[in-house]
Amino acid sequence: MKRETTGFVTSPGSDRLQRRGATLWRRALFATAGAGVAIGALLVLRALGSIGLFNVAYAESIVPPLLLVARQTLLFSATVIPIGFVIGFVIGWARTTRNWFLRALGSTYVEFFRSMPPLVLIAFAALISFFVVRRFLTFLDPFEVGLSAGTLALALHSSAYQSEIVRAGILSVSIGQNEAAEAVGLRKSQIMFAITLPQAFRVSLPALGNEFASVIKDTSLLSAISALELSFLGSSLVASAIFLDFNLVFIVWTEIALIYFAITFFVTRIVRGVENRFKVPGLEAAQL
Amino acid sequence: MIEVRGIHKSFGNLHVLQEVSLSVDKGDVLVILGPSGSGKSTLLRCINLLIYPDRGDVLLEGLVVNRPSIRPEWVRQQIGMVFQSFNLFTHLTALENVTLGLTKVKKIDRTEAVRQARFELERVGLADKADAFPAQLSGGQQQRVAIARALALDPKAILFDEPTSALDPEYIREVLDVMTELAHEGTTMIVVTHEIGFARNVADRVLFMAEGKIVEQGTPHEILEAPNQDRTREFIGKVLS
Repeated sequence: MKRETTGFVTSPGSDRLQRRGATLWRRALFATAGAGVAIGALLVLRALGSIGLFNVAYAESIVPPLLLVARQTLLFSATVIPIGFVIGFVIGWARTTRNWFLRALGSTYVEFFRSMPPLVLIAFAALISFFVVRRFLTFLDPFEVGLSAGTLALALHSSAYQSEIVRAGILSVSIGQNEAAEAVGLRKSQIMFAITLPQAFRVSLPALGNEFASVIKDTSLLSAISALELSFLGSSLVASAIFLDFNLVFIVWTEIALIYFAITFFVTRIVRGVENRFKVPGLEAAQL
Repeated sequence: MIEVRGIHKSFGNLHVLQEVSLSVDKGDVLVILGPSGSGKSTLLRCINLLIYPDRGDVLLEGLVVNRPSIRPEWVRQQIGMVFQSFNLFTHLTALENVTLGLTKVKKIDRTEAVRQARFELERVGLADKADAFPAQLSGGQQQRVAIARALALDPKAILFDEPTSALDPEYIREVLDVMTELAHEGTTMIVVTHEIGFARNVADRVLFMAEGKIVEQGTPHEILEAPNQDRTREFIGKVLS
């Protein structure tokens, strides 16, 4: 079915095509500019290297191991974000129901996990699982189990924040939408899935993107229980580099910053893509 | 067709409906007048069970429907409703707004639902706006889509809750025209409105409410031109001036 709107928006078809063309041009421009800046930066660094101000060999030597552990950071993020989202969604929904027990349960959950520092949660999760594995499940690797528990703890922490985002989204859907859906004869579950959630989700997306970006960086806290990820390797590289040459420390942290940036940028782009998919013509925010 | 017998409804200490009774025959148009806060909207919502009355009965074709053994969804799909603030589903196109009830409630297959929905949009003069989203439509157009959405389910009656009160004056005419057309086609309608002209020309009966009670009812002529009660006379005078 082709979507063709007429009336207030004059010939939107051609308008949309034009906009798509403009977007392509803008993207090409940004990509070229980005590549230009990157190449320029590399040239400057090489120049600095040739006069002995920048250790090119060291900078290059730490790239492969950093990229290797970056995969771990990605893996932790890819575990924490979906688990946090699913649980957050259920809790956020539970807190908007009429059932007082579900509401109380949800509130307790959110208050608990929001008030705990993630580091403390991770430590507790690891300690408890260590204890359980040592005592009862001796055939398991306590380190592996502790790491999984820590990752789960981080996901629960994030889910508490995400549930509030989802709840705000649900509350933003006006009572009139619900009333109209009831008047049409839809059942409660149908109203939830066909009317409330799609609208709530659209509103929640920017804030969810925010939380995703934040939780990617929180995975660095897993280094506290010896997870081999970016920050952990960073710290150990720094610990050995600092005796050789203090300048090397800058190189390590700069490269780590760039990798975090790349991962976060990638994830927030995906969220932006989903946002565009859920855009409703006529409901765009005012362009300032 | 629709009958209400002695219903009461309170919200906390506020006794919104007190011993309200009415009946509407098939094909009739009942207009309910009254100052704001007189319980008109609550009365409408009791008829399609968006609100359950505390006491009294609501009957649809002789069957008491406000009892636990009857699912409210079953009642609501037989009685359409049009709201003051349109309440179109903002994330769906005009066409999707109309098809939703057909596919989800009546379980009609998609192609047939789209065919019927296009027919209903045609009826309210909006065939060309099928793929527009509510936010791209004027108030009058949104309200007509809302009427098409109610019509699509082929209801036994349609309730209108101040359908023109939220509209700019320029759009009131087009909505009233559609409603008049429906009345002439024999649609059973209960209309809460302040449009005295509509009551005079289209209504079969007019009912005046104040403070949760029915003050009087009768033909448009009786209520609008020669009311018995001071309360009615005062209100009509205010609305007409």
